[in-house]
Amino acid sequence: MRARPDTRGRAGRRPFYDLLMNVDRRVIFLVIAAAVALPLVFPLHLPVQISPEARAYFDEIERLQPGDQIILSFDYEPDTMAELDPMSYATLRHAFRKRLSVIALTTYAGGPGIALRVLGETAAEFGQQYGTDYVFLGYNPDYSATILRMGESIQATFPTDHFGTPADSLALLQGIDRYADIELLVSISASALTEYWIIWAGGNYGQRIIAGNSAIQAVLIYPYYDSRQLSGFLGGLKGAAEYEKLIEHEGAGLRGMDAQSMAHLLIVCFIVLGNVGLVMQKLRARGDAAGRAGSAG
Amino acid sequence: MRKTGPVVFGFLVGMLMLIQYFTPNPWIQARYNNVLDWKQVVFGITLMLGVLSLVLFHWRKIEQRQKGWGYSVITIAGLIFMIAAAVWRGQNAGPYLWMFDHVQSPMQSTMFALLAFYVASASYRAFRARGFHAALLLTAGVIVMLGRVPLGEMLGFHAGERYYSLATISDWVLNYPNVAAKRGVLIGVQLGIVATAIKIILGIERTYLGKGA
Repeated sequence: MRARPDTRGRAGRRPFYDLLMNVDRRVIFLVIAAAVALPLVFPLHLPVQISPEARAYFDEIERLQPGDQIILSFDYEPDTMAELDPMSYATLRHAFRKRLSVIALTTYAGGPGIALRVLGETAAEFGQQYGTDYVFLGYNPDYSATILRMGESIQATFPTDHFGTPADSLALLQGIDRYADIELLVSISASALTEYWIIWAGGNYGQRIIAGNSAIQAVLIYPYYDSRQLSGFLGGLKGAAEYEKLIEHEGAGLRGMDAQSMAHLLIVCFIVLGNVGLVMQKLRARGDAAGRAGSAG
Repeated sequence: MRKTGPVVFGFLVGMLMLIQYFTPNPWIQARYNNVLDWKQVVFGITLMLGVLSLVLFHWRKIEQRQKGWGYSVITIAGLIFMIAAAVWRGQNAGPYLWMFDHVQSPMQSTMFALLAFYVASASYRAFRARGFHAALLLTAGVIVMLGRVPLGEMLGFHAGERYYSLATISDWVLNYPNVAAKRGVLIGVQLGIVATAIKIILGIERTYLGKGA
């Protein structure tokens, strides 16, 4: 471990700027933990405003008619489910409320467990029947071949669903075999999978696509929304909260907004603190230099 | 022949994948579908190779009693347990699903959640305005960080009839400078992919054949 330079003054006390610039990381961890936990226990109910991207996401599903088909791809694993599960739940609630037919799948080996839980809970909430109102095709190895092959034939790509039932015997998939039969594709992702859906399913087959992305990934897909290759998207937990507000169903997204606000605010406060220390250090160094020059003169 | 055969094969398959994009010819489309099906099979086999490689790596560590060999025992035991559980009761019930819901999910979520604490600590130490570029990055970071939460929507001012908040400025940063930079990167990457693909099809780029090709 690298030793910290000794910045103590003549009296042996650390200068104030040094305290500001070197807050113990355990203090930071404790403060952040408190900032996240307290608003979850004592909600502040900060107002959430709807962004144009989330409004577009909502509108894309809202314009569909009962019986229209959508594909919902669970493109994530348990690591990001705190951020993305609220989007999946809200999307399915919106879809089932509108009586849309949902064809779910996952491009991640760790995705089936998540998809089964989210689909199972929301289907039970709305009394949806497996096979007629929704199906789960499961996981297929190799996302690039899967996305491209689905454009030629969904049933050839997934000859059986996740439970081993032949795809051609599922009532929902009768007459549904290509992107042309699908009204909308939804990718909930924490990786570049959304970009691949846009490039291969959107670019090659003209599929309309909306996406829910982790906050980090959302920053990268703005160009696709700007060029209308992506019809709408939700960015991070804030996007999920906006969408929950639009469908008028409070979930983990809205509940998490206060905690996220407080955590971001505290991180900014710490950054400001560090920079105040830096300015003080520079002023002190300048003063010392001027003093030395004066005494030398 | 050892070098020419794969290069010719690469040329033919590359040209097929290129031509299929521009023609609805049923024969070519059928071959295209064959290639996509084979690709999934090959991917499945690479997964198996990955598992084999993982087992061999950890087995060697256990055999030689290398540092941390106990963790290797847990890794192999976990792998065998999950495979056995899936074969015994399937993926949708029993111990496999239980392990996924109660062990893998919480552990992966916990690892990711820990990032919040490290990001907080790292931001505090790294975001120091030591120069113009650092100050620019710092300012943009702070604006986007606050602008992407409800608090940022409350911090703002009225100018005439319009309300400008940190969220407004954050949206501008994400929609203009961010899009411009990302678009530039995307175009550069795509041109690079096209150039590499042409080089592979024409046999100029042969590193995929291994050493000495």
